Amino acid sequence: MFGKLTWSAIPWEQPIPLITSLVVVLILLGVLALVTVKRWWPYLWREWITSVDHKRIGVMYCLLGVVMLIRGFADAIMMRSQQALAIGTSQGYLPPEHYDQVFSAHGTIMIFFGAMPLVIGFMNFLTPLQLGVRDVAFPTLNSVSFWLTASGALLVNISLFVGEFARTGWLPYPPLSESTYSPGVGVDYYLWAVQISGIGTLMTGINFVTTILKMRCPGMSYMRMPMFTWTAFAASLLIVAVFPILTATLAMLSLDRFFGWHFFTNDLGGNPMMFVNLIWAWGHPEVYILVLPAFGIFSEVFSTFSGKPLFGYRSMVMATLFICVVSMMVWLHHFFTMGAGPAVNAFFGIASSVIAVGTGVKIYNWIFTMYGGRVRFSVPMLWSLGFIFTFVIGGMTGVMLAVPPADFLVHNSMFLVAHFHNVIVGGVVFALMAGIDFWFPKAFGFRLHEGWGKTAFWFAFVGFWVTFAPLYVLGLLGMTRRLQHINFPQWTPWLYMSVVGVGILILGVISQVVQLVVSIRDREKLRDVTGDPWDGRSLEWATPSPAPFFNFAVMPNVEGEEAYWGIKLRAIETQRLGPEPQYEPIEMPVNSVVGFYTAVFATVTGFSLIWQIWWLAAVGLVGAFIGFVVFAWRDVHEYHVPADEVARVDRARRAARLALLERIAEREAST
Amino acid sequence: MSESEFDPRPYASVLDDREDHAPGDEPVEDTGHWVLNSNIGLGFSVILTLAAFALANSQIMYAPAIPVALIVLAIAQMGVHLVFFLHVTTGPDNTNNVLALAFGLLVVFLVVLGSMWIMHHIAGNMTPMSRMADVPF
Amino acid sequence: MIDTSLPAAREVARRAHEDPYRLGHRDHGAGPVEGAGHGETGPARKRIIVGYGFWIFLLSDIVMFACFFAAFAVERNATAGGPVMSELVEMPRVGWETAALLLSSYTCGLSFAATNARSKLWTQVFLIITGLLGLAFVLMELSEFIGLASRGITPQRSGFLSAFFGLVGLHGLHVTLAGVWLATMLAQVQVKGFRPEIVHRLICFNLFWHALDIVWIGIFTIVYLIGAIT
Repeated sequence: MFGKLTWSAIPWEQPIPLITSLVVVLILLGVLALVTVKRWWPYLWREWITSVDHKRIGVMYCLLGVVMLIRGFADAIMMRSQQALAIGTSQGYLPPEHYDQVFSAHGTIMIFFGAMPLVIGFMNFLTPLQLGVRDVAFPTLNSVSFWLTASGALLVNISLFVGEFARTGWLPYPPLSESTYSPGVGVDYYLWAVQISGIGTLMTGINFVTTILKMRCPGMSYMRMPMFTWTAFAASLLIVAVFPILTATLAMLSLDRFFGWHFFTNDLGGNPMMFVNLIWAWGHPEVYILVLPAFGIFSEVFSTFSGKPLFGYRSMVMATLFICVVSMMVWLHHFFTMGAGPAVNAFFGIASSVIAVGTGVKIYNWIFTMYGGRVRFSVPMLWSLGFIFTFVIGGMTGVMLAVPPADFLVHNSMFLVAHFHNVIVGGVVFALMAGIDFWFPKAFGFRLHEGWGKTAFWFAFVGFWVTFAPLYVLGLLGMTRRLQHINFPQWTPWLYMSVVGVGILILGVISQVVQLVVSIRDREKLRDVTGDPWDGRSLEWATPSPAPFFNFAVMPNVEGEEAYWGIKLRAIETQRLGPEPQYEPIEMPVNSVVGFYTAVFATVTGFSLIWQIWWLAAVGLVGAFIGFVVFAWRDVHEYHVPADEVARVDRARRAARLALLERIAEREAST
Repeated sequence: MSESEFDPRPYASVLDDREDHAPGDEPVEDTGHWVLNSNIGLGFSVILTLAAFALANSQIMYAPAIPVALIVLAIAQMGVHLVFFLHVTTGPDNTNNVLALAFGLLVVFLVVLGSMWIMHHIAGNMTPMSRMADVPF
Repeated sequence: MIDTSLPAAREVARRAHEDPYRLGHRDHGAGPVEGAGHGETGPARKRIIVGYGFWIFLLSDIVMFACFFAAFAVERNATAGGPVMSELVEMPRVGWETAALLLSSYTCGLSFAATNARSKLWTQVFLIITGLLGLAFVLMELSEFIGLASRGITPQRSGFLSAFFGLVGLHGLHVTLAGVWLATMLAQVQVKGFRPEIVHRLICFNLFWHALDIVWIGIFTIVYLIGAIT
């Protein structure tokens, strides 16, 4: 009746997951109770859950990503502390079967449910605003994408208290992940969570490729798009190109596990190495999907806070597209040691070194952007400077790893672990922190507290290096990754130093939370009244903060590379705004429950397939199909916003801009 | 999108050469042209399909070259489908479609040929099964 | 946003005059429209956006097929002492399947011509013929699989067979889902007529059905024809 699901699936004998699950369930119930008591459900339903507004969806993605980053960080704390404690005769506090789930969950959550949602959230929020349009190409599909990702995250979290998670690492290599050696439900949780959210991500990629190519405001040719949009485009192209590989490969593994097929088994003609090959054909472009929008964020931050246009815009675009294409030609460097031989290894080693050229071009362009400008050391700028230092070193260790003979020594050692954290944290996480600080006022109408932001940065920067620099040393001393127990006491000082670093990082996370709380408390003082708190250069800063749901009352007509900068300069020169435009009614897409509905049934289907409750899986699939048909039958897709409401919102914006103009005039007059 | 009711304009005037087209969508052509394209496409496809089946089952070519010839015929037929059924052309209104197709083909070739190259080399470096007994433990 | 006091703004005025862009997704109005293909005249019409988005989705689907092709190519000899490809091929059946799918592609194109001519009758007739041909394809393929299974040739036998059934089965699954979609479109065209969103969906359906035939060209060539002779 319930497939493999029994009461013993709940970890009664394991205190850590049991207590954690209890606490999480209590917090969840508390939140639901609070929302009910305060009668927030209609608001949440109307404004967030069924919203197809890219800004709302972007914020929800970022919220999901931040929450999951914290869960992944908790896993990291457990790993570092276990390794510091379990040296010599001591066994630490995490038995191997538990530790293996922790490191697998850590990687899976950080990449699929932490970094990806955050990056996609930024793409969602910014791209239509920067392109000067009202929404993405397929707003309802966008909502479906978000809710599918949330469904995947929910499944991973359910595995903590019902069943177990995979013990195979964040990429489940066969034959360990085959049903012979992983008979439990752990790998199945992984497979369905990642497959469901992977479908959501693929749809996001399709959405953004179409939006960027086919929906731009008048005058915005390709070479006038802001740099973040270019990187979002390259990342979306990569998503469309490689996420099907992930889907196909995990589907093959699922067929092996569920139905006894032999794609990757050890016997009867299966080829486990084919899994490694295919999964990394996805896996390498995946990290560029993460890092390219991060580079885009830095381009925006560097130009804004240096007060200069981005240096070498054309070469930046070329470098972005170069990285996009070459990133699909380097994937073998993740398995140099699997025995492809010198010819193949040499090709991929050279390609992996060559791809660094694209990033090098970008780094130099950012540095030259700062040169000759009036640099303001705001919080986003601090994160960006920290990125330059951190990422360049991480990239250099990457080029070291790209040399096959060197990689043979340090493959899967702590050197590798240090390298990829170096580039992901230094590149992606620092960018996300900079971006959160930079665009928070646009999303919520008030800035974040600067003092706590700087505190958080310094804790994070110092904490990162104190945590991960010892791991480079440990890698060179011979320590492999994913060790539950340490046999070599000479590694102890480095392991201890790493734990100290984790402590500093914890202070950083706490500072970020404090920053948020303090900013919300002081939001009137930090209010962004004009919509342009940082003297920005691209079109999102032309809107009020927070941006109205239709983004622009009148679609702007773009004439130069930095769309908003030209408009602003002209206004400042002429001491007045342009004439009031002709306001017309605007068509906006209606809200839709189909995203949330699809995710509910996806979760039900995924959960029932994991536990092999076949009737429930059928219910889930049929329910999802019924949802599609009902949605496809709807007659009303859009509603009209009357011209006077548009006019009212826009006149308020113009009044705020006029006030800003007068303030600038006063400032110029007094200097 | 102010098309919440039946679109009253005849289609011939709505989408024209100055705007991008999606593949498989060429309403500026009248029905006659469309049917003609379909007929030509079917004709070529039938010829190419029959040729492929005939070739596979015959001995008229140097045997190792037959798979190559079959692949050439397949590529030709895919081209026929793309041009006659999907109207993917090289006009400026189709540039995005062609570029997207080229990108997709690049990925397909990288994945298929790359995997074949890599796995062939890996397989070549495996210990032969007959020697497995000699490998310690 | 027309400001006539600066030289740069005169360009704006000229554009506004010659290119009276509208808000939202409406038409660009009568008169010369510049910049075909570069998107400089504002967002494209919804019909183009929907068609292009679906084209991108198709390319992603083709990448997924490519992975199964790659698995087939790599594991084509991994027969583990079991049956090889030449033992699986029944040339007449492959011929009929190919004919059915090719003809269905043709009738699908004809149905879209009928849609353009706004003929509900012929659209439905050709869609039904397409569906029946597609159904014939699926039934033939099912009978092939059942026949193989009764000879003990199942995907659980070897890596090669897993790759074969995976690739051909994935294509058959796509055709089946397209058939379900076709049935839905029949119902929608019948009830709602040629509303713009219905036409957009027919464009997408057309693309999907043609793409499935293109993939089948790859399958019958590489899996069946080349498999039969090597």
